[in-house]
Amino acid sequence: MKLGKRWLPAHLLVWTYAVLLVVPLYYFIVSAFKTNDEIFGRPFALPSSFSFGNFSTAFSSADLGLAVGNSALVTVVSLVLTLLLAVPAAFALARSTGRTAVVIEKVFSLGFLIPTFAALFPTFLLAAATGLFHTRTFMVLFLPATAMPLSVVILVQFMRTVPREMEEAARMDGASTYAVLRHVYTPMCLPGIATVLLLNFLTFWNEYLYSLVIIGPDPSQRTVQVALPTLKSITGTDYGVLTAGTVLTLVPVWVVYTVLQKRMQQALVSGAVKL
Amino acid sequence: MTTLTSPPGAAATRRTAPSSPVTGRGGPRQGGTILAVPALVWYLVFMVGPMLAIFVIAALHWPGMLQPVSFAGLGNVRTVLDDPVFWDAVRNTAVQLAVALPVMILCAYMLGYYVAQRPPGHRIIRYLLFIPGLISTPAKAMVFYAALSPDGLLNGALNGLGLGSLTDAWLASPSTALACLIALDVWSGIGFTAVLFAARLNSVPDELGEAAQLDGAGHWRTMWAIHFPVIRDYVGVVTMLQFLWTLFGSAQHVLLLTQGGPGTSSTTLSFLVYQKAFIAADLGYSQTVGVILFLAGLVGLLGIRRAFRQTY
Repeated sequence: MKLGKRWLPAHLLVWTYAVLLVVPLYYFIVSAFKTNDEIFGRPFALPSSFSFGNFSTAFSSADLGLAVGNSALVTVVSLVLTLLLAVPAAFALARSTGRTAVVIEKVFSLGFLIPTFAALFPTFLLAAATGLFHTRTFMVLFLPATAMPLSVVILVQFMRTVPREMEEAARMDGASTYAVLRHVYTPMCLPGIATVLLLNFLTFWNEYLYSLVIIGPDPSQRTVQVALPTLKSITGTDYGVLTAGTVLTLVPVWVVYTVLQKRMQQALVSGAVKL
Repeated sequence: MTTLTSPPGAAATRRTAPSSPVTGRGGPRQGGTILAVPALVWYLVFMVGPMLAIFVIAALHWPGMLQPVSFAGLGNVRTVLDDPVFWDAVRNTAVQLAVALPVMILCAYMLGYYVAQRPPGHRIIRYLLFIPGLISTPAKAMVFYAALSPDGLLNGALNGLGLGSLTDAWLASPSTALACLIALDVWSGIGFTAVLFAARLNSVPDELGEAAQLDGAGHWRTMWAIHFPVIRDYVGVVTMLQFLWTLFGSAQHVLLLTQGGPGTSSTTLSFLVYQKAFIAADLGYSQTVGVILFLAGLVGLLGIRRAFRQTY
């Protein structure tokens, strides 16, 4: 379809919104290299020097280095656990023809209707009861559970596309069920596994409220999303440090998004609407 | 023994399953379902269990973690319904949903339509629209904090334009605190929602739009009279998602930006659940609001589903 002159207002509106999305990021990145005086004096000017002073202050005053490490640890271990649980489950559900499997799949898809936030306090009690309160360990166990519905449903769809003949051929050669999963299904479902990994990487890395309540303020355990808001109270109005810290937490996500842009976009779109 | 096959027990049906695809051998497709059990147990323990516990705790009188617990029945419901703070929260949540949701969905649909037409620069736009979907809640809150604090970006811009009289402590003023939270919802919600709509609109056959154009319909007509009915149910699904997000997710924004204040001017229902549990330590109250929130979510979902039911 042709876009005529009458589209001018539309162009304007859309690009205004685009600017509203970019300006804060630009502001954060340039402010991370400035002092307060420069930030207020010329908020949108490029920084006069690219010194990493604010970053090191952010690092030392809120223990951000440790927090990034904790976040990485929680995210990676949770992702591994998610795959270890979801891949076999999806494999079973996709191949099975029994009624139990249908019921289990229903249970998982109903999970989309449970908003994670609702059960915050009971989950907190569970953490206390298991003695894992104020530890990263509980988050590592808990996060995969929240990811289960989406991961299983996405993987089942991919696994259903594997032709039956592939498994039958492997069986002829004497492959066990585990070997079929390991050497037939997993390689053929790598795109699905990548989707699940990317989606969950985002949610796990960005998780805030549960980490705040369950891991708590202990600097040796807390994740970067919990450490970040504390900069606001520690540094008061030192915007340079505040923005430097924020930029720092965005870097991993940014790198992944830019490198895997196409795949990430597909993953986000497909993951959002499996209601 | 024939009765064994007739009950709908799981074992009975599973035994009959392998006979259809694979003949002869002991059924290589059997025994697979067991692999789904760890994931299911995990899910039940960490998600469904706590979910059900809400309903139990809602019926308890529990004035703090280490305090004695007693059964309260519907007593909490009465306390909650008699509390003016609760009604403030209901009003705030209603305003938030009534403003944020229509604005977000309407703008996102039009933006999605725009992107789906592949205008010049649509690749850049698409890349940028994902930004709010990528950054975490605390980072978003930092952005808004930097923009709206008394010496932040917005006041700076107003002063620069000579409109210094319009400056305000946006997050700390009772009349604007809730509006700031709604602005955050809309700002971060439009982009990602638009991408979803664009993806769906791309799968609508081009001929549909072209035929309408030949008949003299402009883009405005095409957008609402041709494309919208086709993806109506999809719009419904996305609206449901954003509804849930706004209803339940607002607790984090409130916690990070306004703490529900000043007064109760920005206390939403989901923040009330958090505040009563972790700050005021009135656990029965908190979970009663949790139950109400859950029911509100359910009613809202059904209502949206009905409103967007496919009509052709």
